[in-house]
Amino acid sequence: MMSVWSRRPHFLHLGLFTAAYVLGCGFAQALAIVPGTGISIWPPSGLFMATLILASRHSWPWWVLGGCLAELFSNALWFHNPLSVALLIYTGNVLEAVAGAWLVTWACRRPFRLETLQEVLTLVVLGAGIAPVASATVGSATLAWFGMQTFAAAWPLFWLGDATGVLIVAPLALAVLQNCGGRTQLSAARWMEACVLGLIFLGVAALSLSGHLPSAYIVMPPLLWAAVRFEFKGAAVALTLLALITVVFTISGTSQFVGDPEFQKQMQFALQLFLAISAFSVLTVAAVSRQHQQALLTLRDSERELSQLVDMVPSHVWRLTPDGEPTFFNKRMIDFLGLDVADLDKRGMSRLEAVIETIHPDEAIGFGDALRRSLATGENFALRYRLRRADGVYHWMSSRAEPMRDQNGRIVQWYGLCHDIDDQMHAEEALRRSERELQQLVDALPVHVWSWTPDGKLAYVNKRSLEELGLSGANFEGSTMVAQKLVHPEDAPEVLRTSANCLKAGDAFMMRYRRRCKDGSYRWMEGRCEPLRDQDGTIVHWYQVSIDIDDQMHAEEALRRSERQLQQMIDAVPVRIWSVRPTGGPIYFNKRYQDHFRAVIPNFDALGEPRIETLLQELIHPEDASEVQCTLRNCFDTGGGSAMRFRWREKDGAYRWAECRVEPRRDQDGVIAEWYGVSLDIDHEVRAQEALRERERELSLLVEMVPSHLWRVSPEGETTFANKHMADYFGLDVEDKPRMEAVFNTMFHPDEVDEVWDVFARCLRTGEPFSMTYRLRRHDGVYRWMSGRAEPMRDESGRIVQWFGLCHDIDNQVRAEEALRRASERLARATQAASLAELSASIGHEVNQPLAAIVANSQACHRWLSAEPPNVERAKITAERITRDANSAADVVSRIRALFRQTTNAKSSENINRVISEVCRLMADEIAAKDIRVETNLEPDLPPVALDCVQVQQVLVNLIRNGIEAMEAVVEGARALQIRSSRDDLHAIRVEVRDTGTGFKDADRVFEPFFTTKQHGMGMGLAICRSIIESHGGSLWTANDEARGATVAFTLPLATNGGSATMS
Amino acid sequence: MTTDDHIVFIVDDDARIREALGELLASHGMRALAFGSAGDYIGAEKPDVPSCIILDVELPDINGLDLQRQIAKGNHPPIVFITGHGDIPSSVRAIKHGAVDFLTKPFSDANLMAAIDAAIAQDREKRSARAELGVLRRRYLELTPREREVLPLVVSGLLNKQAAAELGISEVTLEIHRRNVMQKMAAASLADLVRIAERLEIPITHSRRTGGTRV
Repeated sequence: MMSVWSRRPHFLHLGLFTAAYVLGCGFAQALAIVPGTGISIWPPSGLFMATLILASRHSWPWWVLGGCLAELFSNALWFHNPLSVALLIYTGNVLEAVAGAWLVTWACRRPFRLETLQEVLTLVVLGAGIAPVASATVGSATLAWFGMQTFAAAWPLFWLGDATGVLIVAPLALAVLQNCGGRTQLSAARWMEACVLGLIFLGVAALSLSGHLPSAYIVMPPLLWAAVRFEFKGAAVALTLLALITVVFTISGTSQFVGDPEFQKQMQFALQLFLAISAFSVLTVAAVSRQHQQALLTLRDSERELSQLVDMVPSHVWRLTPDGEPTFFNKRMIDFLGLDVADLDKRGMSRLEAVIETIHPDEAIGFGDALRRSLATGENFALRYRLRRADGVYHWMSSRAEPMRDQNGRIVQWYGLCHDIDDQMHAEEALRRSERELQQLVDALPVHVWSWTPDGKLAYVNKRSLEELGLSGANFEGSTMVAQKLVHPEDAPEVLRTSANCLKAGDAFMMRYRRRCKDGSYRWMEGRCEPLRDQDGTIVHWYQVSIDIDDQMHAEEALRRSERQLQQMIDAVPVRIWSVRPTGGPIYFNKRYQDHFRAVIPNFDALGEPRIETLLQELIHPEDASEVQCTLRNCFDTGGGSAMRFRWREKDGAYRWAECRVEPRRDQDGVIAEWYGVSLDIDHEVRAQEALRERERELSLLVEMVPSHLWRVSPEGETTFANKHMADYFGLDVEDKPRMEAVFNTMFHPDEVDEVWDVFARCLRTGEPFSMTYRLRRHDGVYRWMSGRAEPMRDESGRIVQWFGLCHDIDNQVRAEEALRRASERLARATQAASLAELSASIGHEVNQPLAAIVANSQACHRWLSAEPPNVERAKITAERITRDANSAADVVSRIRALFRQTTNAKSSENINRVISEVCRLMADEIAAKDIRVETNLEPDLPPVALDCVQVQQVLVNLIRNGIEAMEAVVEGARALQIRSSRDDLHAIRVEVRDTGTGFKDADRVFEPFFTTKQHGMGMGLAICRSIIESHGGSLWTANDEARGATVAFTLPLATNGGSATMS
Repeated sequence: MTTDDHIVFIVDDDARIREALGELLASHGMRALAFGSAGDYIGAEKPDVPSCIILDVELPDINGLDLQRQIAKGNHPPIVFITGHGDIPSSVRAIKHGAVDFLTKPFSDANLMAAIDAAIAQDREKRSARAELGVLRRRYLELTPREREVLPLVVSGLLNKQAAAELGISEVTLEIHRRNVMQKMAAASLADLVRIAERLEIPITHSRRTGGTRV
């Protein structure tokens, strides 16, 4: 039920159906002109059947229900049959409609379109012929049962009425129902035709049916016209109109089918027949027309498709007359040539010539000849040529043409096909070229190329091979034999065996052998043979190549030899060589290293591929291991080389110093390919270096600690080294060069700086040793005396490389000398300028000092000894001191003596006259104060005398002063002092000082020490003077003058051999 | 004789002399400190005990006599000069400037020791006098300003009445001040106080006579 409900038709459609059904009933009632005869035409049967044909079977109950309602309603309106009769009749109608619809759809097996003749016939036979049997039988039986009519009388009429209804209404209903959605557009001409046809039809129908024309069937021509021209729609409409007109005229009584009541039945039957025949004819014609139209359409479509095919096929299609005139080009050809067949006529030549013109001049004549020959003989035409495209480019074309003959074998047409093979031609050209090149290549290759069939027959031998074997291209079959003969006898069996085995097994093979050359020498060859297999793996061909590898073999041999030598060398050199991969895994250790490892690492051979770090770890002294490890890892990480030193273990377990250098080898891209390392024993060097360093350190210490300044200067004068002592002296850091420069610029005492630099510069220039005494400024600003010496160091060529200098502090010594010198000077000055009393006082002081000490010490000693108990220790000390001081006093005395009897070192060659003048000038004031006249009588041109200037001056001063003092008492007479110098004899010079004083009272004693005639005086003067003169090798004496005064004279020997004289 | 009791400073440029004198003094049980020059002596740290200086006249830096003059301003130990060659002007000058003795080298043990003993005794005396004066000075500093005004008047011999009038204070007040002064200065009697004032070199501003005439 649900499916029925859900498949319910549109209620509007159901309503319309019901309404149409009622109208159909009304129409049938209107035609029921013969009383008691019932219905003449039953349109609802057509409607009902058409509806069911189009509707789905599931909705049929709805339509049956609708029809039932309509029929009952119509029965109530017009038929007034009892309900049971009406229902039974309707049942018959339903049966009819259902049977008809089912039969029609079953027969046609497709959506029923009423477009073919078959469909029309199906409808007519099954729908209009057989289906009404059911309704007629049921209806007639019903009428008979209820006694209204006899079955026999009612059945034909009933059947005919239903059949007519189906024939007339079903097409209309089908046309209306099928076309209610679509709008068929009719052209204006068709509309016009339809209108004209309609008028004619109406006119003829009206005239024929109203009895003005002899037969009702005259209406058939316009009816058939409508069917032919407008097919089913026209037929349906015309039939409906015909039925309506018939009804109208029948009802109005003007129809031919209206007659006497007794003939009424026949008339009715005639009417029904008329309508049935009309409907049948019209429908048949419409179906035929329809079918014809369909056929035409199909033909047109297929022709269009064919034409498209011809146009679209990617080739040129053309057609020629038997004479060769082109009559058709397909579209592609037209597009290609840029002209149509019709355009060929415009050229002023025949069409064929025009076509030939489009062909490349090289092939044009050949094309023309070939085509004409084919036309003449009827042979098929096939040619390749170049055809000019519309843009002027020639394309290669492959053209074929074949004749079409009629039944008599006469040629009717030529059909041609021509397709573009330009790419193919080019490809073929390229292929040919490449093949040629390949051939050339194979021939040009400096190898022998042979190919074999699988059964061992020679298929190809390249040219070079033939040439070298001395064979011609024609008979290379024998080359195998020739080739085999050329193989070196030693290699031949092996070659034969190997090749036979390989050929049997189908393996590729490669061998090296010697082959004799034309000149008789054997050269190494390498033969390679490989099979070519198809997809199945069967051998198609063998290809063999033989290459001359003689040079290569020799090179390899040389290489092997050189490698062996290299290997021997690497193993023999007394270093450990190794290489590792960038990842650290080992590649190579030379034999020496391996032996070393084996000796030291117990399970070295079991290690397999040990890492270099692991090995070194085992080998290296634990103290060095971590650093080596670190360095290596650093190397591997950064890719930089490195050198490291470490101690490694030797066989005997002792450690020796070794050096390892690591460098990466990079490939062309700069990527590290390998690491190379070389380790060598440097134990001796390291130990030597250590010793050297130690020695250097000691030397350095020595240099630093030596209590002198040591320095080094470059030949340019730049200080390159100063020892610590020197740096400390200057208070500077050895490293502080700029400050050092500054210090060196100011280190000399301003008094000497220029001189020192001058001398030093000269030494640098000339290379003579430098030696000077000068003052150097200490860091605290104090200048100290230094004795500086420097000597150059020269290289083999005598060039000065360095200056080494030594400078030691002689300040104390200098100052001591200075002090001594000053003391001497002081004393000298004192004796020179002061009185002898002062001199003696001074001497007294010098002597008294130790004397005082002696006295004090002796008293202390006395006290120590007299103490209770006696302090002997202290007494001893004091006694020692007494001795020391006494000696000291003696020293003083001897020093005083030495002062007056100095060594010859102090002597210089002097002119005595100059000394005398000097003394006079010195004493000028004193002399002037005493009112004394000094007369000098000096002999010129005296030879110089070796004398101590100061001492001789001292003697003169003493003598002059003595003279002055001697004259003090003299009141009367001239106070004159005479000084004379003269040549005494050949070897001496004589000086006299003569006064006019009191003279010597006791001339014999004047030279005794401490003899004096003066109130103040120690009596030392003349004694000292005599000792001085005697120290000069001269003599001094005195003499009183006859009148008054005294003369003191001394002689000084000329410098003959002064040195020995003084020492006596 | 205890060695710590006194000390002898020896200033001589001659090491032998210094040594010998040191030894001699040691044999006499005396402590000695020797200096090579006047500068060394001046710059040295010296113990504060009775002492004397044996000073050589000829010194390398400054003359011994000059040194004597230089240190004369302060409290210095008495000086015994020694010299290699004594001349009369030098010795006169030395003695005039307070030298205890002037010995010429070589000198005898007895002379030297006598001079040293005398010098040390002199120093000892000077020291105790200086110490006593120091006590008096400290006492004087303890006086109030008024008492310091009162003291000169009292030691001048003014009567209480006169002194009071002089200061414009009552006699009773003066009496109190005077008693305080006596007490603070630890004077047993007025005579004692006068002596103390003399030591302290307090000027006597009034005499009774002049004061009398004014009154």
